[in-house]
Amino acid sequence: MKALRNIMIAMLIALAVLPLAAGGSKEAAAASGDGPVTIELWFGAAMTEAGMVPDDWVGYDIIRDKLGIDLKLTMLPSNESDQDVKIQAAGAGNALPDIFMVRRPVLVNLVKQGLVSPVDDCFDKMPHRTELLYDKDAKAHATVNGHIYGFPSPGMIVRNEGLLVRKDWLDKLGLSVPTTTEEFLEVARAFTFEDPDGNGVNDTYGYGAFIEIESNLKGYPGSRLWPIMGAFGVEGLWSLKSGEEGLNIYKPEFYDFMVFLKGMCDEGIIDPNWLSYKKDDFRAAWKQGRFGMMYEQNAAYAATSNYAPFDKNFPDGEWIVIDAIKGPEGKAAIGAYDMNYRIYAVSRKAADAGKLDKICELLEWMSSDEGYYLLGWGVEGVNYVLDEDGIPVAGDLGDMAFTGSKGQVYTQLRNLVFYNGDVELASRYPTYITEVSKKEMSALKTLREMQAMTWTNAIGSGNLPTPNADVKRFYEQTLGEFLTGARPLNEGTWQEFIDGFNAIGGKAWNDEGVAYMTENGLLHD
Amino acid sequence: MKISRQGTAAAPVPKQMQRSKLRREIARHRSVYVLALIPLIYYIIFKYVPIWNSQIAFKDFMAIDGVLGSPWIGLENFRTFINSFYFWSLIRNTVMYSVGKLLISLPLSVILAIAIYECTRPGLRKVVQTLAYLPHFLSWVIMYGILLALLAPGDGVFNDVIELCGGKAVDFLSNTKTFPWVVLISDAWKEMGWSAIIFIAALMGIDVSLFEAAMVEGANSWQRVRYITLPAIAPVIVTVLILKLGTILDAGFNQIFMLYSPQVYAVGDIIDTWVYRQGLLEFEFGLATAVGLFKGVFGMFLVLFANWLSRKLTDSSLF
Repeated sequence: MKALRNIMIAMLIALAVLPLAAGGSKEAAAASGDGPVTIELWFGAAMTEAGMVPDDWVGYDIIRDKLGIDLKLTMLPSNESDQDVKIQAAGAGNALPDIFMVRRPVLVNLVKQGLVSPVDDCFDKMPHRTELLYDKDAKAHATVNGHIYGFPSPGMIVRNEGLLVRKDWLDKLGLSVPTTTEEFLEVARAFTFEDPDGNGVNDTYGYGAFIEIESNLKGYPGSRLWPIMGAFGVEGLWSLKSGEEGLNIYKPEFYDFMVFLKGMCDEGIIDPNWLSYKKDDFRAAWKQGRFGMMYEQNAAYAATSNYAPFDKNFPDGEWIVIDAIKGPEGKAAIGAYDMNYRIYAVSRKAADAGKLDKICELLEWMSSDEGYYLLGWGVEGVNYVLDEDGIPVAGDLGDMAFTGSKGQVYTQLRNLVFYNGDVELASRYPTYITEVSKKEMSALKTLREMQAMTWTNAIGSGNLPTPNADVKRFYEQTLGEFLTGARPLNEGTWQEFIDGFNAIGGKAWNDEGVAYMTENGLLHD
Repeated sequence: MKISRQGTAAAPVPKQMQRSKLRREIARHRSVYVLALIPLIYYIIFKYVPIWNSQIAFKDFMAIDGVLGSPWIGLENFRTFINSFYFWSLIRNTVMYSVGKLLISLPLSVILAIAIYECTRPGLRKVVQTLAYLPHFLSWVIMYGILLALLAPGDGVFNDVIELCGGKAVDFLSNTKTFPWVVLISDAWKEMGWSAIIFIAALMGIDVSLFEAAMVEGANSWQRVRYITLPAIAPVIVTVLILKLGTILDAGFNQIFMLYSPQVYAVGDIIDTWVYRQGLLEFEFGLATAVGLFKGVFGMFLVLFANWLSRKLTDSSLF
């Protein structure tokens, strides 16, 4: 009996003390200055699905031996919402890691809570990295209330999406590349009703899309409709054009766009699944030849593994990148673009524990030649070889190459060092010959084509205020109901929507955004 | 004073003796007590300790100041929730799905359990039972893929059949009229088999001689179900009903979050999805906790009420 009681007491004490002991040892190591300092880093992986950086990664030893840092890595979820929830939950428990990737809206919340440390003084401590990654615009992206609260490195390549059309379908039906909304509709109708794939079944549509939205740049119905919205001058959530500043929803042309889109839905020339598709469903659909026009990202379309299923299904199929179509008033844009940054913020806890200098040291090393190639491509001769132009390539390294199934996990941290330089792009998007149709493909060439099209400057959208949940719901729900027909779409109901939107807080949101644009010099001609 | 079975007054048992008896009992069944210790510790750490943190429902929670350091703001978080533009819509949708799931899933689970129990072919029974359990183990992400394949307006199986019959395709997942039914029926499909387990267990406990006697008296299958099976498992049905009422404001976050889209917010947005967007994504943890507390207290009153009502009407209750 006594033994049983002792066991119970021991278990309870162990349960109570273990977490305290675990937390305490880490802080103690940082403060004491003896032995390596532990830095906990939550990072955005290059390919979440590939898995975690292995324990045998040589980087751990190099960082420990050269910098005196015991690096602890945690991979963030790939989905932005999940990332936000993970970070905010950690923030609520004051348990943020030392350094972590965070989106600006979440960063603003964390700053309000006093959970992150300003890093204004850090840039001088890492001159090489700052020169490569942190320009004035980047710093502005991480600035809140006059202080820089994180290290904003270049994110996704901008203007890397485009309007694509099935050239083989155009040729088969004797059609030209559409240049106006009228021609766009004609092509969409032909793709829907004239059996462009010649299989004798009515199973194709003119345009394919899905709802891709977020709170700063891509307002409902989202970026996949941008080429059409661009024809009406309402691409993007915000307009930062001087004289037209504010939410695009207030422009009369937004109503015209909605009428146009609703017409496409009613006529059945847009894939009727588009309101239900998630990203993966949409991508599976174009690879199965369901539609002949779409808005897609360069690598998602042209990278080796992404294009392969389409190549196999349609060896004679061919997509081409086309420029924006012109609307009734001559307006045209492929989409709106903002600068993308990945912000790495430092927790207040880490700064208070005296880890800021070590973090700067770590980041500066990452951008050195040694760190850049190790994080970007792995170990030379094991994960990559240099070609005659000095570009890292897979060579004959097989699975262990940085592109291979076993090697790619060693480059999970590459987003911490990449800045979309020429070497990176040439290495990331090599020219290749497709397996079935033997076509020459290059995601880099596609990228350059897409970037050369007509785009709308919306730089600074990412810093604009976001609406509360009720305003956001009202905005998205009402537009959605117009499209599904649950709410009739006419000038009267549209005005009711705008009035309701203003009343619920939309006007205040718009005014706040316009004030921010004006104060921060974001407006342009 | 306690009265013994013989009707004479029992002599009071000294406290010392009671304690030593208790110790002996615990020592004798120590393995059971050790087993009970694990869930007990789990409940203390994960269920009771967090109750302490629920005070942030009444505070302007600042993570840097901690639970104790954050300033009190009274009922402000509750007011924010109740004054939310969509408050009544959220309540309506949440209750609609909770009650709807109860009304559809519970009877279906009972029917499935009885059907499996009554099945005389062991092979068929096992196959049906396994197939009925299977969807429970699928995540809602996978279920969404299956539902899209079945219900998509362009190439979903259901719409193919509708069009074959001369009808017009319906976008079940984006239509405010059909979306609630998709939620309710897909939930019943996914969870019916799993929920039936408890009823099958109850059925196994029925004395077989009752059925034999009924058959001798000439009762047919339906009469046996009506007069023996259903009354026998009625207490279990009541228990399940009462327990489910406690979570009436939990309408199934995972399912709704996967299935809904802006087009169907009007009938799809529930308290938990609102809390996710307004509470968690906007760092309003005090608000999120206030809503959680609101749900918990509401659920507790419903459980007490249902228990009382059940005792009044059926003489069967949970406590």
